[in-house]
Amino acid sequence: MPVTQKDLMIKPKDALLKGHFACAGCGSALAFRHAIGSVADKAVLVVPASCASVYQGSGKGVAFNVPTINTAFAASDAVASGISRALKKKGKDDLKVIVWGGDGSAADIGIATEIGACDRQENILHVMYSNNVYGNTGGQRSGDTMIGARTATTPKGNTTPRKMVPFIMMANNARYVATASAAFLEDFVEKFQKALSLEGFKFIQIDISCPPNWRADSAHSIEISRLGVQTGIWPLFEWDRETNTAVLSRPGKKYGDKANRKPISDWTSLQGRFRGITDKELIALEEDTERQWNFLRKFM
Amino acid sequence: MVVKQETKSMTGNDAASYAALFAKPEVIAAYPITPQTTIVENLSRFVDEGKLEAEFIIVESEHSALAACMGAAWSGVRTFTATSSQGLLYMSENVFWTGYGRLPIIMPVVNRCLAPGWNIWPDFQDSMAFRDAGWIQMYTKNNQEVFDTTLQAFKISESKDIALPSMPCLDGFVISHTTGQVDLPDPEDAFEFIGPYDDPIIELDVENPWAYGSMTGPDQYSKNRRDLMVAMERAKKKIVDVHKEFEERFGRSYGNGLVEPYGDDEADLTLVTLGTIGDEAHEAIDRLKVEGHSVNALRVRTFRPFPVEDIVEFAKKNHKLVVIDRAASFGHEGPLRIEVEAVLKRHNVDTSVSGKIMGLGGEDVPYSAIIDLAKKELKE
Repeated sequence: MPVTQKDLMIKPKDALLKGHFACAGCGSALAFRHAIGSVADKAVLVVPASCASVYQGSGKGVAFNVPTINTAFAASDAVASGISRALKKKGKDDLKVIVWGGDGSAADIGIATEIGACDRQENILHVMYSNNVYGNTGGQRSGDTMIGARTATTPKGNTTPRKMVPFIMMANNARYVATASAAFLEDFVEKFQKALSLEGFKFIQIDISCPPNWRADSAHSIEISRLGVQTGIWPLFEWDRETNTAVLSRPGKKYGDKANRKPISDWTSLQGRFRGITDKELIALEEDTERQWNFLRKFM
Repeated sequence: MVVKQETKSMTGNDAASYAALFAKPEVIAAYPITPQTTIVENLSRFVDEGKLEAEFIIVESEHSALAACMGAAWSGVRTFTATSSQGLLYMSENVFWTGYGRLPIIMPVVNRCLAPGWNIWPDFQDSMAFRDAGWIQMYTKNNQEVFDTTLQAFKISESKDIALPSMPCLDGFVISHTTGQVDLPDPEDAFEFIGPYDDPIIELDVENPWAYGSMTGPDQYSKNRRDLMVAMERAKKKIVDVHKEFEERFGRSYGNGLVEPYGDDEADLTLVTLGTIGDEAHEAIDRLKVEGHSVNALRVRTFRPFPVEDIVEFAKKNHKLVVIDRAASFGHEGPLRIEVEAVLKRHNVDTSVSGKIMGLGGEDVPYSAIIDLAKKELKE
């Protein structure tokens, strides 16, 4: 069922209460509110070390209005596996076990754990919210950082291509893999709900803006995410194991064709992390973007 | 009245797996490592044969083995895993997370030394590294005690007033792969002893959502750790009580459950030990007695919580302690010796303490070596 803007406004439950600690313009908190809110009283969350371990708030004032287990950085998908199996044993498998973590855990330190859970076909959904950086440690390069980005550990610009985590999950036989963007929440929530309706290991990577680490104006948060899709930096697609086919999603469909894309500099120019990016780096970034599209096309 | 039991012949790892089978854990997660592997192989067979109705999670690492058990424990079910050596080190952040998070997971550690070089033989360097992780640690002397201790561990750890994980420790190969006599109770009698885990310490609840392990300020954090200290202190009594109850039902005991003395109450020399060296010491003491030497022993069965009172009482009646450690705190002494000395000093007991580190990396510690040590200590 397509999710409409109206649906987004009617949430069965307010999943993110007032008083959370997310930064102004945080795309992750926004995505959380709509996605987790849409599954009402059925969500059980597992949060690896990530911004979400901070923005959930602290002590008695925790703003996540669903059961939440915080875990070590690399432990979340294994903890979620244990929860899912225990719930099955208790006959409570109507509950949805969701890992909600950043790219540091999903692309780097936790990737073995994630692939392990995927390999076992654990009945969990991993949502990787992606700001391409170790956010709450102050903005260091992660495996998800794109070429040219200035981070705390790549002050002269990152030189290596982005790790393509959704493709890694496809290669490991996940049940369902999708990408999403905080600028297209209807699309995200639709994919989120679809994933939860399926049995097995599901994976969604959502591009979210991070104004402090991207050195961007928080007012541009959604605009930057939208440009990420419109410039082709962030392909929007979903892939289903049953069909082994990747389908471009409605809001990003036309950007499959390079001719329809806006120049990548429209997207980089709004972000301080790309200040000083050279033409050479920009070309390398474009080439890496194309590499991802070419990989994706093999499944289309 | 002591229940009927059947005498079987099995390895120490078999004994640990039977204790787990009888406890009926609902979730087991495990990863192979020598010399632990046969415990989880047995359990996977029990599950496949339908003897055990558990979710068995074949994980990709020890880090995930314990993490999966943690997830299950937060969901309110009985959980079990086992490991050794490098595996224990690999899961280390979760070992602390489990202890500090008060999750009642039972995880036998089949003691094996640490690399380099590659060596699969026993010493206690692995479990000793987790002395401060908030786990109950009990060191066993033979196959029977492995079964008994593992079964007792469920009852101790899952008590609401304790809520601590347990690590029954067994010497690799010396116990784990050596066949010995084990008296097995009827599975239902064993299960009845610990009871079902139907009123869990903690359980995820969507009706009443809470967040576990969120950011915690210094005040609450230090209160949590103080609570853990207090729970450890309470665990001493719980271990003694459960051990006594076990004795009444199954007819076996190991001292008071915390320490196990051997020989006369008072002697010229006392051997303080852990694990199978404690069993070997019996033979040494008997032979020394024939030669006219007065030597007794105190085997520390429970290392965490540390049985301070029992050690002090025993030391007061004796003259000289020699502590045999099967691990080293490099830059200091053996860990057991360090602790025994500290405890006596704190309680103004002037019984002298010396120590020797023996059996590292599987170095054999026969009774003859213990006799030589005792004779040397008696001369000094």
